[in-house]
Amino acid sequence: MQTAPLTTRKPDDCLAYVRTPLAALGDRTGGVRVDEFCGQVAALAARLPEARYALNLCDNRYLFMLSFCAAMVRGQSNLLPPNKALATQAALLTRYPGSYVLHDGVDVAPGCRALDIGQLSLRAAAAGSIPSIGLDFPAAITFTSGSTGDAKPHLKPWRTFVVSTGINADHMLVRPQHLVSALATVPGQHMWGMETSILLPLMRRLCISDARPLFPQDVRAALDQLEAPRMLVSTPVHLRALARSGLDFPSVELILCATAPLSKALARQVEVAFGGRLLEVYGCSEVGSMACRHTAEAEVWALFEGLSVDVVDGQYVASAAHLPAPVSLQDRLQTVGRGRFRLLGRGDDMVEIGGKRGSLQALNNLLLSAEGVRDGAVFLPDTERSVDRLVAAVVLDDPAAKKKIAAHFRAHVDPVFVPRPIHVVPSLPREANGKLPRARLLSLLARLQG
Amino acid sequence: MSEQTAAQREMAELLVEALNLEDITAADIDPGEALFGDGLGLDSIDALEIALAISQKYGVQMQAEDEHTRNAFATLASLSEFVEKNSS
Repeated sequence: MQTAPLTTRKPDDCLAYVRTPLAALGDRTGGVRVDEFCGQVAALAARLPEARYALNLCDNRYLFMLSFCAAMVRGQSNLLPPNKALATQAALLTRYPGSYVLHDGVDVAPGCRALDIGQLSLRAAAAGSIPSIGLDFPAAITFTSGSTGDAKPHLKPWRTFVVSTGINADHMLVRPQHLVSALATVPGQHMWGMETSILLPLMRRLCISDARPLFPQDVRAALDQLEAPRMLVSTPVHLRALARSGLDFPSVELILCATAPLSKALARQVEVAFGGRLLEVYGCSEVGSMACRHTAEAEVWALFEGLSVDVVDGQYVASAAHLPAPVSLQDRLQTVGRGRFRLLGRGDDMVEIGGKRGSLQALNNLLLSAEGVRDGAVFLPDTERSVDRLVAAVVLDDPAAKKKIAAHFRAHVDPVFVPRPIHVVPSLPREANGKLPRARLLSLLARLQG
Repeated sequence: MSEQTAAQREMAELLVEALNLEDITAADIDPGEALFGDGLGLDSIDALEIALAISQKYGVQMQAEDEHTRNAFATLASLSEFVEKNSS
């Protein structure tokens, strides 16, 4: 069986900077060396319950990295759901027999098997050796919402992570020989956070902070604690708040941004605010990172080496030797020369809110499954706002049902997909064939707001 | 619903404006109702928008790692009180 080491870093190099007092580290804050981390991985792996899959919901980035690695070492695949909703947990535990919730203090679906590592002491001797993982081992299964409402699984063998991280490092990092302190505003579970804040530090000289700051002041405080040179991994929503905060930030040499298109103006503001270079990355959770551009200067994306995008039956399909199968892209692209393309927009079914992607069809099915809803539609209006919000128009059997719609959404999907406002209407402007074109919904909305 | 104070009304107007809460007017927000979760149903993107609006209007920086800020985001009343205490 072919294997690759869990980490290719030197044992005495700094892997993480922990600023949260964690029981796992005996409340000690500060730097964690690679060999200390590997010792902890072995200690945790030995304490995990017997299982095939771990539904990994750890929130603290260090604990997530630790549990992600410990699960693999123990031969358990990490299930990485798009959200922590109780209904999502219950559905995955049923779908994957022999799974349990591995977490650090979140709300867990009642009655399910779970291990809370938030209060576990995992102090252990530094490891003398680094464990290896089989290249074909299913390291993780990530999920995206499919058009039917069922989460669609994407298998990530260890090979995919090892090879793609090498490719990502070659294209994203400025100077891989130098130890760089990294901070991310995105969670480790999402593919973008996984690639940059978990996998890159395991394979290249990054010291990753366990923090996931939200407000600009928190980002500044977390950066202040890190030694230069620094790197920041973020999204357009967070970067916009940072650029507009007017705060003085410590210098950041490299800013990586993904999940939604960034404007040239914002890219320039961010480069001025941090005195560094902003690299925007394009990808999707099925493939991972695929291309990048220096947004302040360039509009066209450059595809990463090792990846190719071809047109198959009118659809853009990405493939690479390290991917289990080719992937149809949800975006509309226009190729402009070899390995270069423009992004024209999203596919019709996909919505993107605050960096999270969802299927409009699945969200509509969710609305129709809400109690007391006779008919309804969720859609994304055209707005000038910085963050798009879904809007719903519903026909109700019972006027009191309106109040329960938001709770129904929150139980099943990420809060960013909860429609707001929800308009109650006597009927929807459906065509005779039952279809509900977007133009008709927009004019209904205009009348409601009129 | 208890009556809004003048400061709470001003904060309610900032929320409605910053978040574009089309089906709610400032007067509708109960000072004691939860802003996040089951109450008004706000999320982390809203929290960022609110923090930005507050820093621009009152010069007060919100910090999630600070316990006072976390508590401040509970209700309209607590948010308004936090900003009053911290603005110079």
